[in-house]
Amino acid sequence: MSRILVVDDESSIRLLYSHELADEGYEVVTSASAADAVDKLRKDEFDLILLDIKLKNESGLDLLQRIVKERHNLPVIICTAYSCYKDDFSAWLADGYVVKSSDLTELKEEIRRVLDKRVSRNSPKKTQ
Amino acid sequence: METECCWTKDVVTAAECPQVTAHEADLYDSLESRLPAKCLECPRFARDLERLSRKQEPVGRALVILSAEVRRQKNQLSIMVGSLDSRNLEIQFLHEIGGVLQTSLGLDEVLSVALTAITAGKGFGMNRAFLLLSDKERRYLKGYLGVGPRNYQEAWEIWAEIGKTDYTLKEMAKHFHDAKLSAEKDKFRDILEQLTIPMTDQDHILNRALNERRAILVQDAYHDPAVDQRMVRILGVDTFLILPLLSRNRRIGVIIADNCITRKPITPQDMHSMETLTFPVAFAIERASLYERLHEDLRKLTTANEKLKEQQELIVRMEKLALLGKITSGIAHSIRNPLMIIGGFARSLLKNTPAGDPNRESLQIILAEARTLENTLTEALAYADSILPAMDQWDVNQLVVNVSQEVRKIAEGNGVALVLDLAPDLPVISMDYRQMAYCIKKIISNSLKDLSPPGEIRVATRLERDCVLVEIRDTVVPAAAEIGAGAPFSEHADLHVPGDMDLSFCRVILENYCKSFTVEEDEGKGRRYALRLPLKKEGVDHE
Repeated sequence: MSRILVVDDESSIRLLYSHELADEGYEVVTSASAADAVDKLRKDEFDLILLDIKLKNESGLDLLQRIVKERHNLPVIICTAYSCYKDDFSAWLADGYVVKSSDLTELKEEIRRVLDKRVSRNSPKKTQ
Repeated sequence: METECCWTKDVVTAAECPQVTAHEADLYDSLESRLPAKCLECPRFARDLERLSRKQEPVGRALVILSAEVRRQKNQLSIMVGSLDSRNLEIQFLHEIGGVLQTSLGLDEVLSVALTAITAGKGFGMNRAFLLLSDKERRYLKGYLGVGPRNYQEAWEIWAEIGKTDYTLKEMAKHFHDAKLSAEKDKFRDILEQLTIPMTDQDHILNRALNERRAILVQDAYHDPAVDQRMVRILGVDTFLILPLLSRNRRIGVIIADNCITRKPITPQDMHSMETLTFPVAFAIERASLYERLHEDLRKLTTANEKLKEQQELIVRMEKLALLGKITSGIAHSIRNPLMIIGGFARSLLKNTPAGDPNRESLQIILAEARTLENTLTEALAYADSILPAMDQWDVNQLVVNVSQEVRKIAEGNGVALVLDLAPDLPVISMDYRQMAYCIKKIISNSLKDLSPPGEIRVATRLERDCVLVEIRDTVVPAAAEIGAGAPFSEHADLHVPGDMDLSFCRVILENYCKSFTVEEDEGKGRRYALRLPLKKEGVDHE
């Protein structure tokens, strides 16, 4: 079962993600702040991070840079209310970018795509 | 003593005194006037004095001496009066030139006055004059203008023409400036182009005239080792006058004047007279060049001022846009998140609500409304994002291909064929890629929404005279209410569809970009959108 860390300062959104992604068979852990996320990343192993850009008094893009620096193999999907950050260089560090929507289909597809890519990258190559 | 002359008589007749002419009749009655005016020149009077002198009369000897002295002084006086008259004329002429130069502000206007003064018969009457001006860096003296005839035939023609007119100096200069200046420049171009003298060559006679601040009259130039022989060969004369043009300490240029046709000698008097002319001329040339520079600076200042004004307007606009950006950013966060939560939970609840549950319909309504609001928000934010134009050169075909790739999947999913018919070798167009892509995508999406399968959307590009046409045809047959009697919607057609904000945004953008934008019914086959993008943008405001 893949473990996903959801980082979003909105408790209702964290709850929604928890319900919806649990239904999809993922184990979901949530963080309301960058500091808490860093703490959790140090203590636990995750397969994917879902990251909001606007966190309370913090920038998700700063956290993204930190994650890439410290855990460069850990995929990150930015899930934000803003479409404009798609053109931001900092956002290009992420493996995926999804604009928040009540329909989570696109997000779920993106999670599957990123995780599949990670699995294929980490699985040992077949020998002839 | 018997006298031969009538000088002993107070009153004489015409027969007695042949020296007096008819219009000097008053001299017959006045010995006081007649004696100094006529008797001194009379040979009979001279012979009387001679006889008196021979008679050993002391008074006779004295009279001879006095008479000779009076004659000498009279001659001298006559020369001085002549010189004074000539000076008077010269002063009058210089005064006239000064007046004309004072009202001449353009460089060519000043030069026309100066060279006309030197070469006109009413002026100094030289045959030909060349003007050399120092360049901006003060490195070279360069031939700028030549005035005068090139040969005898032309000389007679010019002088005959001048003889027929009675122009003042001012009129002559104006006539020269208006009718002859450019022709004269061309006429002497070969000579002027060769007359380039480095100002660092201190021994060159032209530089010497400038450095010594005095006119130089060159005579026997072919045999004068102090004169540049190359320059002499170019001028083709052995006598010429060099007049330096100096204003304060600035070396403005040099005038070379000669009598190449008449070969009339140039006197030191001519030289001094023309030297006097050079002071106001040099001053006027400098003033003209300062005036030109002032004009240039004024033009630059005006341009800079206009740019500053534009920049200020741009800053105000950018501030407004920044404010708009802040507002939209706030909207994005404060509306999209609650919408996502409302819609997301409604969807989640709906999933777990069994069929037939009365709450299902309510949940579906919440979900649909949330989606409508989300779509509206997405479009409003996309428009706000694209409102700041980023103009660049773009290939229209590439834009159409990119947009069609984005919508092709949806079109095919709806059973609609998306056909491209792109003209090759289209020129690039200056436009904001995002805004134009947004509009074309919205028009295609609008067609897709109204089309039922099997439908077709055809996007074509064509080069027209001064624009590139992007034509989007669909197979949607509009209802009579949509398009009045099949007539075109007219230019900048109103794309507003109640409740459809996307097309209203398109209208705003296209009004700014397109030379013309029309939507019309295509003879009952569908709709035709025609966007004409100008090859060159002129005065289009991208707000």
